[in-house]
Amino acid sequence: MAKLKQSNQSFLQDLLSFQGSLNGKSQFLDEVRLKGAEEVKNIPFPHRKDEDWRFISLRDLYTDDYELATRLDVSVPDISEHYLPESEGSRMVFVNGVYSEEHSQAEALPDEVEIGNIADLASEDHPLLKEHLGKYGNFEDDVFSSFNTAFLDDGAFIHVPKGVKVDAPIHLLFVQTEADVNYFATSRCLVLADESSEVTIVEDYIGLGDNKYFNLPVFEVNLEEEAYVKHTKIQRESKEAIHLARTGAFVAKHANYESYTITRGAKLSRNEPRISQRDEEVEFTVDGLVLIDGDQVSDTHSVMDHRFSHAESHQLHKCVINGKAHSVFNGKIFVRKDAQKIDSFQENRNLLLSRKGLVNTKPQLEIFADDVVCTHGATIGQLEEEEMFYLKSRGLNDQQARELLIYAFALETIENISVESVQKLLVDEVHKFTERQLDSQLTA
Amino acid sequence: MLEVKDLHVCVEEDPSEKILKGVNLTIGKGEIHAIMGPNGSGKSTLSKVVAGHEAYEVTQGDILFEGESILDLDPDERAHKGLFLAFQYPVEVPGVTNKTLLRQAYNTIAKEQGREELDPIEFEDYINERLNVVDMKPEFLDRSVNAGFSGGEKKRNEIFQMAVLNPKLSFLDETDSGLDIDALKIVANGINQIADEEKSVVMVTHYQRILDYIQPDHVHVMLDGKVVKSGDKDLALKLEEQGYDWLTDLASVSVNGEQN
Repeated sequence: MAKLKQSNQSFLQDLLSFQGSLNGKSQFLDEVRLKGAEEVKNIPFPHRKDEDWRFISLRDLYTDDYELATRLDVSVPDISEHYLPESEGSRMVFVNGVYSEEHSQAEALPDEVEIGNIADLASEDHPLLKEHLGKYGNFEDDVFSSFNTAFLDDGAFIHVPKGVKVDAPIHLLFVQTEADVNYFATSRCLVLADESSEVTIVEDYIGLGDNKYFNLPVFEVNLEEEAYVKHTKIQRESKEAIHLARTGAFVAKHANYESYTITRGAKLSRNEPRISQRDEEVEFTVDGLVLIDGDQVSDTHSVMDHRFSHAESHQLHKCVINGKAHSVFNGKIFVRKDAQKIDSFQENRNLLLSRKGLVNTKPQLEIFADDVVCTHGATIGQLEEEEMFYLKSRGLNDQQARELLIYAFALETIENISVESVQKLLVDEVHKFTERQLDSQLTA
Repeated sequence: MLEVKDLHVCVEEDPSEKILKGVNLTIGKGEIHAIMGPNGSGKSTLSKVVAGHEAYEVTQGDILFEGESILDLDPDERAHKGLFLAFQYPVEVPGVTNKTLLRQAYNTIAKEQGREELDPIEFEDYINERLNVVDMKPEFLDRSVNAGFSGGEKKRNEIFQMAVLNPKLSFLDETDSGLDIDALKIVANGINQIADEEKSVVMVTHYQRILDYIQPDHVHVMLDGKVVKSGDKDLALKLEEQGYDWLTDLASVSVNGEQN
């Protein structure tokens, strides 16, 4: 008889039994994992009665059995089609959570840049890794980031020292393969951008099959004074996958953190970017583009925490929803008591292409200072009949007209991404997306 | 080229709202027509119905283009046959450049008409040459379609699109309204360059003003959903001097009559 999971509360705790297989390589990591496991036991699993979880169901997650991804023995297919030409010499690849040295390259990076696998660096007691790991996650009472920590092993570590500007974008490619069993992965990245450094990171999740697995990634980035980090995240997990991700960024004086998150894959996905201002005069951008159809669910819960004076922040979150897909947005903007002269922009725009699609959107301002400019808003709209008529009267067929309008809607996010091949890839994704939605319309 | 026969049209969402009540109109090859009339007479609706706007329903009559009914065709299929509508209120499409839209439109029409499509370099040459028709700078091509354009720029862009797409028959829906005299001259000059023995143009307008620069072969007056009078360009001058009142008794069903 199949084993029945009675309780979502014990779901993650039960999986901790896989933890033992990781121990013994690094005392540091053993301790980190132990601490993570303790937290998993103490933090309650999210419930729909929790305000932050009321719009999505995690049932798909906890009603299955899973194997630890790194224990799987699978042959790796050719993945070179997913490489970015700009990152031929600056790439780290992880397959089912395991660092793949043969697929990774670092020769295009300046010598001063430290890049490596977290597990390897931990076994060498790398001082910076030990000092900074877990410092920027800042996800108190979050069982998923604790679970990630409880399985901390392979992962990406990048350190860009003072004054170093890295031209080549660093591509962090997390590949999940097909497998006979459901499995789980806990991707992890730590990026340290020292004073006046500059780096571009492309965090890229790809599912090669249609199989079920879950991934709970944690991405930590620290920007010291005048650092400039451009961070693009692309999520194209398998259409049966569950992807619940956290990004924690600390931004010091005169630093600029620019992030663009593209959500295209997974049956259920959630992004929780948390940007925390650490000093005066910073800039940050937390833009997002979500393209979902079928029965996909995408949830973005972001926090922009303005803690000091003089910050400029920008969040444009755009969603295109088709089929029975469901998009959730909750953007929290905090402006602390002494954080004056804050200029914050937030907008969530939704393009609903079907009758059965669903949007929940909740911009949320909590302002305790008085000299601030915060604009926020949310819109839900459809393709305008008049726009379609205009383009069709110019000879464009239905598919071309829709594609052009969806592309135009999405472009505002895409065009700011500095890596050209990523832009192209996203235009391609928009194309595939509109093609699919036309198909479903014709068969409906 | 175009025959509108006893065309009755209502609003799709509200069939009781009848806008066209039996329009008859014949446009020959190479002819320039002007359709005039006060607000609400149905002239803009006629243009949109010919182009295939889905908000209207044809309840009676037919529209023949080159001898075939086009009522069952989508707006894009009508464009492929060589129909064009210059919009009264051109739509803004932020994020899509004029060049992108026009190349896609041009090549789609070319393909449907069995002509050769142009590659990006050939199209660049072609489109740059067409800019001269409306006296526009090449930078214009890389701007988003109508986004942030002034009213005059939007109207010029409509004529530019017409110059690029090279339609057989164009309806220009109040292309002259909102233009200052300089812009009006440029637009009129553009239209004159495009119209030739092969191509027909229908100008829908309130005012006689643009007809100082474009000589129509025929002028029609629409009132209350019908063409009530047709004539030559002198008719436009008469309308300019005397207004529409002298024509109202020609409308067989007056507005009041219908309400009763």
